[in-house]
Amino acid sequence: MGSAEGRRSQLLRGVLDLCLLAVMGEGPAYGYEMTKRLRARGLSSVGEGSIYPLLGRLERDGLVETRRAASNGGPPRKYYSLSPEGERALAAGVGEWKAARDAVDGALGLIEAEVGP
Amino acid sequence: MSEFVEECRREWRRLGVPDQVANEMAADLRADLQEAEAEGGSPEDVLGNGAFDPRRFAAAWAVARGVTSPPTPHHRSPWRSLIATALTALLGLLAVGAGLALMVGFRGHSFAIAVHRAVAGPGPIRILPSGPNRIVLPGMRGQPIVGTQITGVGIQALALVVLVVGVVGLALFAAVFFLWSDWPGSRRDRRSRGQRSPSWN
Repeated sequence: MGSAEGRRSQLLRGVLDLCLLAVMGEGPAYGYEMTKRLRARGLSSVGEGSIYPLLGRLERDGLVETRRAASNGGPPRKYYSLSPEGERALAAGVGEWKAARDAVDGALGLIEAEVGP
Repeated sequence: MSEFVEECRREWRRLGVPDQVANEMAADLRADLQEAEAEGGSPEDVLGNGAFDPRRFAAAWAVARGVTSPPTPHHRSPWRSLIATALTALLGLLAVGAGLALMVGFRGHSFAIAVHRAVAGPGPIRILPSGPNRIVLPGMRGQPIVGTQITGVGIQALALVVLVVGVVGLALFAAVFFLWSDWPGSRRDRRSRGQRSPSWN
C-alpha cells in the first residue's frame, strides 16, 4: 500500500487532462496559469509529471486551440483554450468520472459500513 | 533555471525536434519558470517531478506534442548475444584449461609437429608437403631418402600464451559490454539518465 501522496498522485494522473480542460473552460490560459488555477482548486501538486506533456497531447489530439499573445507585462505566452472537440471530450469525461466516482463511493461505503462503529 | 531550459534544448536537438518548435517550447518554459520564481515558487511548482530530470521531461513533452517519435527500446540482436556468449565461453574455457595445465605442471613436456617432409633423390633436394603418400620421383632408382622435419613446442609456454589470450579477451569483452551496453549501471545507462536536483540555477 503506497503513501497517501502516492495514491493521490495515481488518482490524479487519470483525470488531470479533464481537470486541465475544465480550467481552460474558464477562459484561455498559459501553462503556469493553469497550474495556479488547479492549485486554487486544491490540486496543489500536479502529480509525478508535469502539465506540459499533457498540454502537448491535448493540442496534438485537437482538444485545445492555441494562440500566442502578450501576457501582463511579460513575454508573449502560448494561451490554450477549449476547441469544440475539447468541449465534447470534457462533457463525456465528466460523465465518466461521475460514474466511476459513484461506483467507488458505493464500494467504499460498503466497506465503511462493515468496519465502521 | 536557464540551465534546465538549456538542458531541455540539448535534448530536443538530439531528438531532432524542429528549431521553431524547440524555440517555442523553450520560451514558454522560461517564461513560466521566471513567473514562478518571481512569486517565490520552486521549479517543482511548475514542472512537478520533471524538475529532477530535464532530459526525460523534454523528451516526454516532445513526444506528447508529436514532434518526435517515442524512443524505441534497444533490441539486442539474438545472433549478437549468441556469438558474444559463445566467444565468452570459449575464452573462459581456454583460460581455465591453460591455467589448469600450468598448475598441474607440464614442465619439460612437449609435443612434436611434423612440419614437412624432405625427399632426397638424384638431383637437387626437394621439399614436398607432408602426407601419407609415398613419393616416387620419375627417373629415380631404388628408394628415395625420406625424412620428416620435426618441430617441438613446450606445453608450458603454449599454456601461458593461451592463458594470456583468454584472460585479455575476457577483459576486453567485459570492458566493451560495460561501456556500451544498456545494462543498469553501465556507462550508456548512466548517460541516458543524467538526473540532477532541481534548482533555479
